[in-house]
Amino acid sequence: MTLPETLQAVPAGGKQHAPIELIRDLESTSGYWAAVWTMCTMPDVHLICDAPIGCFNLVATAVPDYTDAIPHIHNITPSVMREQEVTMLGTAGAVRRAVEALRRQHPDKEIIVVSTAESEMISSDHSDWLSRLDPPVPFFWSRSLEGDEWEGRDRVLLWLWERFGRDRAAPPPAEVARMVNIIGPTYGCFNSPADLHELKRLIEGAGGKVNLVYPFEATLKDTPRLAHSAVNVVMYREFGEPLAQALGKPYLFAPMGIRETTEFIQKLGDLLGTREQAEAFIAREKRTTLAPLWDLWRGPQGDWFATTDFAVVAGRTYTEGLVRLLADELGMKLHFASGRPRRPGEMDNIQIRETLHRKQPAFLFGSLNEKIYLTEAQAKATHFIHAAFPGAVVRRALGTPFMGYSGVVYVVQKIVNRYYELVFNFLPFDNVAASGQLRDAPNPLAAANKLTWSEAARAQLEQHLEGVPWISRISAMRELRAQVEVYAVRHGIAVVTPDVVEQALAVTK
Amino acid sequence: MSVSVPKGITPEIIEVRKNGDSEAMRAQTGHSVSPDHNLTPQTMCPAFGSLRVLTRIDGVQIAMVTDTGCLYGLTFVTHFYAARKSIAAPAFGTRELVAGNVAEAAIASCVEASKTPGTKLVAAISLCVAETAGLTEEMLPPTINGVDVVLVRVPAYAIHSHPEAKDVAINALLKRYAPPRTEVTEAGVEKPLTYDGSNADEEEMRRKVIMLGEVFPADPISVDAVLKRIGSGLLANLPSRNLEDYKVARRVGAIAAVHPFYTGSVATLRAAGVPIISGAPVGPEASYNWIKSIGAALKLDAAVVEQVAREEREKCEAIIRQFPLRGRIHVCGYEGNELLYARLLVEAGAEVPYISTSIQKTVHTAADEAWLRARGTREVVYQKTLEQDIRALDTYRPDLVLGTTPLSAEAKQRGIPAMYYTNMLSVRPLFLSAGLAGTIQLIREALERAPRYEWMRAFFEGERPAPPPVPVDTAN
Repeated sequence: MTLPETLQAVPAGGKQHAPIELIRDLESTSGYWAAVWTMCTMPDVHLICDAPIGCFNLVATAVPDYTDAIPHIHNITPSVMREQEVTMLGTAGAVRRAVEALRRQHPDKEIIVVSTAESEMISSDHSDWLSRLDPPVPFFWSRSLEGDEWEGRDRVLLWLWERFGRDRAAPPPAEVARMVNIIGPTYGCFNSPADLHELKRLIEGAGGKVNLVYPFEATLKDTPRLAHSAVNVVMYREFGEPLAQALGKPYLFAPMGIRETTEFIQKLGDLLGTREQAEAFIAREKRTTLAPLWDLWRGPQGDWFATTDFAVVAGRTYTEGLVRLLADELGMKLHFASGRPRRPGEMDNIQIRETLHRKQPAFLFGSLNEKIYLTEAQAKATHFIHAAFPGAVVRRALGTPFMGYSGVVYVVQKIVNRYYELVFNFLPFDNVAASGQLRDAPNPLAAANKLTWSEAARAQLEQHLEGVPWISRISAMRELRAQVEVYAVRHGIAVVTPDVVEQALAVTK
Repeated sequence: MSVSVPKGITPEIIEVRKNGDSEAMRAQTGHSVSPDHNLTPQTMCPAFGSLRVLTRIDGVQIAMVTDTGCLYGLTFVTHFYAARKSIAAPAFGTRELVAGNVAEAAIASCVEASKTPGTKLVAAISLCVAETAGLTEEMLPPTINGVDVVLVRVPAYAIHSHPEAKDVAINALLKRYAPPRTEVTEAGVEKPLTYDGSNADEEEMRRKVIMLGEVFPADPISVDAVLKRIGSGLLANLPSRNLEDYKVARRVGAIAAVHPFYTGSVATLRAAGVPIISGAPVGPEASYNWIKSIGAALKLDAAVVEQVAREEREKCEAIIRQFPLRGRIHVCGYEGNELLYARLLVEAGAEVPYISTSIQKTVHTAADEAWLRARGTREVVYQKTLEQDIRALDTYRPDLVLGTTPLSAEAKQRGIPAMYYTNMLSVRPLFLSAGLAGTIQLIREALERAPRYEWMRAFFEGERPAPPPVPVDTAN
């Protein structure tokens, strides 16, 4: 999104600058956050962030309280940059103080210092003097003023492998031909516990054995063990692939949707030499895990999909996976999809906000940002389903995956249940709590049968049903019609024209 | 990239411990923080204080000038704790810094923010990296497309707690919307407007009070009721959701600064000639004194004021007689109003040996601290760290902890009942007799839940290890 020309035409100091990129409600974060979320999952690491207190609090407490449902990330300490460090002293003294204290407190842990946007702003590169300590303290320059979260995640994973893994690899264990690593989950990965649980189930079903879940279930000392697998599974398309490439083994991406999950199990079977076991697993899954989908497809619920639209704004994996499952396989209508990191042609938040203000889909898979845009549009008939961070949402239960066969059933179950909810909310009811008033008030609709509807007015009314899912249109139509007729009767109007429809619905909106 | 180790700091002096110490160390501490250093200050990102206050005002839109990580985190907490408002920002990284178009980037995001229908004010929030890059007031126009623009400068490295950043935001609004007014005398001299009592509207305003401090919405209602009985009334409560309330702040008879950290706003209003009353109507004694102070400042009928103040005190005392507190409680929030809560708990019968807060010690905290120390409080820690709060658990062994999230987690891990101060206490009324009962009831129930905390601890952590023989130096 670039600025209007009038603004670009006002250069400071007479210089013409590059167009300024505008952002609304960020959906991904910086290399610093990526480094903390990745490294702090490992209990034998203790990070020192070279940061003012705010950068520490947000990443270590304020946000993970509500994304990862943990009281705080315990193995990170700030250098606490204050005004004197920023303007005069630099941060080496503050970092040194923290290193000294934490070495005494955690002699068994690897202390790692990580830069932040503010420390990079004042060029606080501590790599040289930290490397001369005995033992040396590793320094990770997080490039927080340049790259984004995704680039940062890839860089820190590669750095960990190169620094703590590659050259320390020990002889492999006996079973290595069936071993599979999972690369990817860290803090700040939406729904990862449930997806990871499903992924392990699929790998074992296909005949594999999970070696290392890196970094989420690993220690830093485990890093060399990344070498000991036959196959690597990269959990997310948005990050982790460069590490899989560096490891030099065949790799697959974690699957979403029916077809991709089936292909994943088959390919993994081929790579591990367990194709027969994999096929048997798929056959069993169709009769068990996946059976609800077959039943819902054959039942009345299956008919709804084709008449319902949806939109997705989420990580690359979820965006492509949900489009594959819901649009390609089940036949739902795709309103729009925009993955993260964004590709050319995909909408940014400013465009998504405008799009949602104009028209809302029946289902929106997204983050808190899209939920706010729906609120701004006062969208009542749209079901918002969390599918990405940011947003305060607990996703720690193991039974809520989006990935794999279990994910197919969970997502479809969620949609159908939301649908039931929608139907319920559109059904007419007697306002029992206020029933006395209802009886006493004269019913303006008693006079409505004297009204005449013009053909154009009827067509106009139907247009207002555009945003309402088909299943609820009977109730919604009745409601809208009543609104118009009440308005007409109260205003002494005999013939309902398109103008009357518009006026009536504008008043009651 | 330059290496910035200043002269005089020799990193080589870092001592290297052998691994053998680790077991001994682990046996001594059940927690993961340093036992003998104060490393981890406790506050939300300070800038959040400003964002909370500003985003909640109707007609205010936000333009945030900062880096990606900061923007992500602050947008998150703002959307969780403050307002469902979209936030505009410029992309702000090395590319923009090298190009030198910091001000243009800030202005562009203000333009984007001003497009939202109904916008009256765009608050440009300048954070650490923008401040370091040198964004100044003069670089921003005072209005864009007819919408006011105010620069709010809240770098976390210079403002050390989020309560104090609330003050920065309010002060910025007061300076913009409630500047000292001047008049021109018959001799043609411009001088500060003086009040001479000739204007009926001014007369009415001068009997009113504005309360300064973020409180639960029921508190202003009960305060207003009591003030009306003594011939006054509450005109507004700042931070307010109504921008107009800031414009009348200097016209009232008194400002009741019920929280102690609004030092900048108080200075601005005092310079405008408005009397300031500090302290808050919390618990019997403070409620009595507060009503009396208002009466004196507004020169109200002394007999009526005394009667109302006494009645309020008696009502408070009756509630306490009915629901007395027993137990040892640590008050360790980071909201800046911890001393008020501690006073209430002490008056209700609790023992509060340890209080800590994120704000700095000022003249406005002195009276409450002295009162508490005279009634058994051993330590009051300002600009506290997590390590200090954890050491206090060992020192005083409380029955209940009202703390930050990391501290509450630590207490629960030890089987001690604990609550996150911010979430649990700010959602209840506190002031006067009307606020007393609910707060005391919450604390009583929490103290009674002790067995549940111990059961949960035992289930997850198993048998308790022998208590750590940690000698604690509380002088630190």
